[in-house]
Amino acid sequence: MRHPSLTARMAVVGSILFAFYAVAAVVAMGAFGAPLWLVLVGSVLFVGVQYKVGKWAAIRSVGAEDMPEGQYQEIHRQVEALSEEMGIDKPRFMIARMGVPNAFAVGRKGAGTVVVSRELLATLDADEVEGVLAHELAHIANRDVVMMVLGQGIASIVAIVAQWAVLLTGDNEIADFFLAIVVGQLVQMLVMLFVMAISRYREYVADSDAAGAIGSGETLARALEKISRGNERAGESAVDEQVNALCIFGEERGLARLFATHPPMEKRIERLRS
Amino acid sequence: MDYRTLLAAVLGVGLGAVLIAAPEAILRAHTVGRVPGDRGGEYGSDGEPNEGIRRLVRVVGAALVLAGLYFGAVAVGAV
Repeated sequence: MRHPSLTARMAVVGSILFAFYAVAAVVAMGAFGAPLWLVLVGSVLFVGVQYKVGKWAAIRSVGAEDMPEGQYQEIHRQVEALSEEMGIDKPRFMIARMGVPNAFAVGRKGAGTVVVSRELLATLDADEVEGVLAHELAHIANRDVVMMVLGQGIASIVAIVAQWAVLLTGDNEIADFFLAIVVGQLVQMLVMLFVMAISRYREYVADSDAAGAIGSGETLARALEKISRGNERAGESAVDEQVNALCIFGEERGLARLFATHPPMEKRIERLRS
Repeated sequence: MDYRTLLAAVLGVGLGAVLIAAPEAILRAHTVGRVPGDRGGEYGSDGEPNEGIRRLVRVVGAALVLAGLYFGAVAVGAV
């Protein structure tokens, strides 16, 4: 699906990330005398390994297993129909016990995987599950996972180069090592600010694509509302330290909000219903 | 005055303050794109790091502030 506003935003953020990367590449070439092809091949390998390891680790960390087609016929049928509507191959479909209602997508168009939690299936109605599935499939169709891996890869490369640039221009004193570590972290955070901003917008786009594929944003809005309400109730009833901490810091403000990958839930629900 | 050491002090204190005030910011800066950010928490929201990790990041932040103050003192010749 075409999104002129996303294309425009991607052009701006992509240019900024490219500028960061170009500076890092020039510095790496100058400092280490590395030829351009080596810098490029090294960067592609770095991002490629992150992508492969990230996908494998995400699936493994939640203990996801393939969703049996015989047991979940309706969901498989929904995914097939939605994939066709969005013009992508049906992704691998997995289920896991995550302790909370959740779902996520990993991989790329043509080799995507969607994982849903048993808790999500137990919490939502069939049409609300369809809304969630459509949102996750939209992430695969829009190559959102690949974009995030690429963004993280660029941020990491720029941070490593900045760190080495500080080290190599110093006097090998303890203050230089300290400065190098701090600069590396700050540069990583600076670059990721742009990646997070585009990630939040991509969530709105995935919501809009999901609404387009199923004909309405209402079911996804209801799903988000239901999960959000359930979360609030859990916060009211539980008293352990862990939950108290979530209550204090759960509502993100300031810096934490700038580094959020998802926009506020209420804004998404509002947009889905508008 | 050694300006590099002074820069290390200022940036160290700044980064330490960020780590203490918003530990999830640095965690997300490192984990987003490597693992799905929404994998750990409720659907539709960012996964919340557990309190142990949050505390660890805050301890690192406090160490950075202390180190920054030390380098600040070195830069102005107080140590």
